[in-house]
Amino acid sequence: MGRIHEYYHATCLEDAFAKARELGSAAAYVGGGIELVLRRNAEVTTLIDLSQCGLDYVKATPTGIEIGSQTTLTNLSRSSDLQQFAGGSLAYWAGRIAHNNVRDMITIGGVIGRNQPWNDVVPHLVALGAQVLLYDGAERSMLLADYIEAKQAGAIIKSVLLPSENAGASGFMWRFTRTEQDISTLHFSSLIHTDGETVSSANLVFAGRPGHAALYPQLSQELVGKALSHTTFAKLAERAPAVVEVGSDLRATEEYRRELVHAAIVYLEEHMTGVTQ
Amino acid sequence: MTIKIVINSVQRTFDVQPDEVLLDVLRREGYLEVKGSCHAGDCGACTILLDGRPVASCLTLAAKADGHSLTTVRGIGDQAHPNVIQDAFVKNGAVQCGYCIPGAIVSAKALLDENINPTEDEIRLAMDSNYCRCTGYEQQLEAVLSAAEQLREDGTGKVSKK
Repeated sequence: MGRIHEYYHATCLEDAFAKARELGSAAAYVGGGIELVLRRNAEVTTLIDLSQCGLDYVKATPTGIEIGSQTTLTNLSRSSDLQQFAGGSLAYWAGRIAHNNVRDMITIGGVIGRNQPWNDVVPHLVALGAQVLLYDGAERSMLLADYIEAKQAGAIIKSVLLPSENAGASGFMWRFTRTEQDISTLHFSSLIHTDGETVSSANLVFAGRPGHAALYPQLSQELVGKALSHTTFAKLAERAPAVVEVGSDLRATEEYRRELVHAAIVYLEEHMTGVTQ
Repeated sequence: MTIKIVINSVQRTFDVQPDEVLLDVLRREGYLEVKGSCHAGDCGACTILLDGRPVASCLTLAAKADGHSLTTVRGIGDQAHPNVIQDAFVKNGAVQCGYCIPGAIVSAKALLDENINPTEDEIRLAMDSNYCRCTGYEQQLEAVLSAAEQLREDGTGKVSKK
C-alpha cells in the first residue's frame, strides 16, 4: 500500500459512509483486511474500519437469517442457525475453505465487496438466494446475484439475509481444487427445493471458471418438475457442460473444466438421491 | 498512528504506519519468535492468537489490532517453562528445523483451548495452514493428540503454562 496515510475507526454506519463520501475513491472499507494487504490499490489513501459498527452477528429474523457483514467465516461455521439452514451447507464450508489462520479474519462483507473470481463463499450465497442489505445514507436491499453484476460503489454492505423460504431446501457445494486449501478450478453450488420426490425449484451456480459467480436460470429451470432420479440428473449432466461458460487458464483448460461441470452434476445427483454413481 | 495492544499479557504501545501488518510491527519490536515466510497467508509460520483466535499476522493490519490482545508462542511457554503442547512436540519428534513450530504451536493451542478431546480430522483442520517441510505432519498430529490426552488427565481443560 505505502500511500495509506489514515486508518479510520468508524463508530457507526453513518460515520463510515460520511467519511467514504467525503473521500470518494481514495477510501476503502476494511472487512478482514486481507485483500487490502495482498492487492494494494495505489489510489486508496484512507482505510475505513467497520469493526466498531456492530456488524458481527448472525441472528434469526422473521424474514430469514441475517448475517452482519463483519462476521467471520469461523463465526459463520459456528452459528447454530446456519448449521440448520438449507442442510447447513454454508456453515459446513465456512469452516473448511481457506486456512485456519484466515478463517477468523475473512468477513462475509469483505468477500462480497471484493468478489474475487476464486471466492467460494459468494457463489454459494448466490445459490442460497442471499440478499444484501446496503447502506448509502439509507438502507436498501437487493439480491446478491444482482449486486455482483452491478456493484454499488460507495455503499456499505451492512448485512446478508438468507431468506426463510429457503431454510428447508437442500444446499450443496462442490469444488474442485488441487489441495483442500487451494482455490477452486471449478466451483459449483446449488439450492434445490423438492416437493416429495419432485424438484420444485432450483438454483445452479458455477464459479472459478475463471470468472465470477454466475447463476444459470435456464439450466436450473430444466430441473423443475422433474423427478429426483438418475434419468433427470444424467440428462442435466449431459447438457450442463455445453451451457456453462468456462475458459482456459494456467490452472485448467476449457475442455477439462467442461469435464468438471459434468462431474459437479454427478455429485449433485449423489447428494440429492443418496445413490453413488 | 499509535496503537495499544496487550501482547502476552503485557500492555504495549506502538507507533505504526496505517498500512503496516502485525508481523512487521512485532518483529521490529523484538518479538522475533513470530516468523515470517510467505507473507501471503499461505504457510502459517507467522500465526499468532488475536483475542484467542489464530490469525496470519502477515495479513493482519496492525491498526486493526488496536485495543486487542495478542499471544505469540512465547506467551504460551518458553524453554524454561514449556507448555504441555511444546513438551509434546519435543517428545513426539515434531520439531526439526523449528521454523514453522511457533505457528503450529499457536494453532494447536487455539484448538485445545476449545476442545481437549479433538479427533485427528479436527486437528488437521485446525492446523491446515501450518506448513512443515521437514518433520512432516504425522508427528505433529501425534503431539497434539498427546497434549490433549495430558490435558484431560490433568483435568484442567485449559492450555496454560505449567
